[in-house]
Amino acid sequence: MNLFLQQLLNGVIIGSTYAVIAIGFALVFTVLRVINFAHPDIFMVGMFGGLLCATYVTSNFLVVAIASALSAGFVGLALERAVLRPLRGRDTLMTLIATLGVGIMLENGVAALISPDVVAFPAVISRQPIDLGAVSISRPQMVNLLVSLGSLAIVSYYVRLTAYGRATRAVAERPDVAAAFGVNVDRVSQVAVVLASMLAGCAALSVGLLYGNAWAFIGLAYGIKGFICILVAGNRYFEGVILVALALGILEALITGYLSSTYRDAIAFLLLIAVLYVRPNGLFGSYTA
Amino acid sequence: MFGQWESLVIFTLLNVMLTVGVYVTAMSGQLSLATAAIAGLGGYAAAILTRNFGWPFVPAVLAGAVVGGCVGALIAAVTLRMRDFVLKLTTLAFGEMIAVVAFNIDYIGGANSFTGIPAYTSFWSCLIAVGIATYLAWRFDGSRQGFAARAVRDDVVAAAAAGISVLRVRVVTFALGAAICGAAGALQAHYMLIVSPQELGFFASLNFIIFLLFGGMYVLWGAMLGATVLTILPELMRFTTAYRAVLLGLIITVVVLFRPQGLIARVPTGVPRFFSRGKRATRPRSQ
Repeated sequence: MNLFLQQLLNGVIIGSTYAVIAIGFALVFTVLRVINFAHPDIFMVGMFGGLLCATYVTSNFLVVAIASALSAGFVGLALERAVLRPLRGRDTLMTLIATLGVGIMLENGVAALISPDVVAFPAVISRQPIDLGAVSISRPQMVNLLVSLGSLAIVSYYVRLTAYGRATRAVAERPDVAAAFGVNVDRVSQVAVVLASMLAGCAALSVGLLYGNAWAFIGLAYGIKGFICILVAGNRYFEGVILVALALGILEALITGYLSSTYRDAIAFLLLIAVLYVRPNGLFGSYTA
Repeated sequence: MFGQWESLVIFTLLNVMLTVGVYVTAMSGQLSLATAAIAGLGGYAAAILTRNFGWPFVPAVLAGAVVGGCVGALIAAVTLRMRDFVLKLTTLAFGEMIAVVAFNIDYIGGANSFTGIPAYTSFWSCLIAVGIATYLAWRFDGSRQGFAARAVRDDVVAAAAAGISVLRVRVVTFALGAAICGAAGALQAHYMLIVSPQELGFFASLNFIIFLLFGGMYVLWGAMLGATVLTILPELMRFTTAYRAVLLGLIITVVVLFRPQGLIARVPTGVPRFFSRGKRATRPRSQ
């Protein structure tokens, strides 16, 4: 029973990180109709932004988190301005390849400038575990969970309750009609990309703290999982994406805990194909690309 | 025969062949992100036959093509109902799944890769294979099925209304493209002498998509040019070892930004009429 609860908790923690990345994909996809393949690498940039700040400036957690968010957000801003905006309305494939090119640049740029190997992440917060009776949770895990849940709350608040959020949903439905009603589509897209990037930056920081290391090529592992989540869920409801991400994290943790980790990823992908075969637009509804 | 350049020449030929396979698949609008996995399956099949059963080279390559073709037909049938975007991602998931499964089968070496493959592939066998693949793709391009495939790519509903069997077109294009990829994978296996599951994943497959889009995905010669340029270019940029990949990413991004139709968008002028029989659909419907 304890093993079950512990794996459930681990699953929720991993799943919440997947959720933040998946939400980033979903946010950009709904607004711009493109899969932003640079997103996992923006995540990575956030991780290194935090690392540099923690190494050279200060190890105050809040400052490091802001550095992470700002570095990732800045890259997101540049990406939107230089690549996504000029390509809007073109074949989605072109955007896909262009963002991929940016991703390759970011990955290898960081690898060339800092290190192509796994580097240690400074311990900004203590690793002392907290005992919760049946299960225990380490401080980095707690931070990871809080950061992810906070990010998801911010996205939900932004999309559901702010004027920009309403505009975002309008653009998601029909960009042309939204523009006719006075929505500044460029601005809305920009805010969406930057918001997604900043949240990914924070999530990356918490992942770096959790595992105690950073790597220039880490984006792929998390990117693919985030990707699967948005595919399985469909992009109609952000809450659906979050739900699927948490479920995927829990499923992975349970499979690792009770069976073996060898076929874990294969099962996830098989599940994806099965879901898409039965519901070609995702579990909760449509991607209209 | 090319001295130190021989491996580069052979890799270029193999990449051209794989990109031709991807081009054929993409003709009906199915952009496969499982190229590396399909090629890997062809490679595994051929390598098992030559190493463990003592088959000669040519039948083994053909067997690789058959395996690739069957897998391609299967994927096409499963993804029939899926739209553009989801289809790409399903092929992606398929490729990743193959990679994970290959990691865990001991018979084919698992994570240690399949080794001990006899070295059969030479420059000439690659050249002949590329020639056959290009000829097949070129003939298919101008055939009735080729036109039907482009009709399906441009508008599935209209194509179906005009009496084209979407299922048949998609299965045929995917199977033919995948068969070419499978044969190329078999050749690659007998040149590298190793097939490893690390090479089957999404990022390996993505290379071929980049080749295709870079060169131009609506013309066969564009696809071949893209593969050639992007295979040789990184070698020419060896002088900047550390920033090579960064430059490559930059070049890809810039080409997409300023020439989104790819380097070649139609059959270039000056090429003999022989190469451009009939009217071609060179651009997709604007979106």
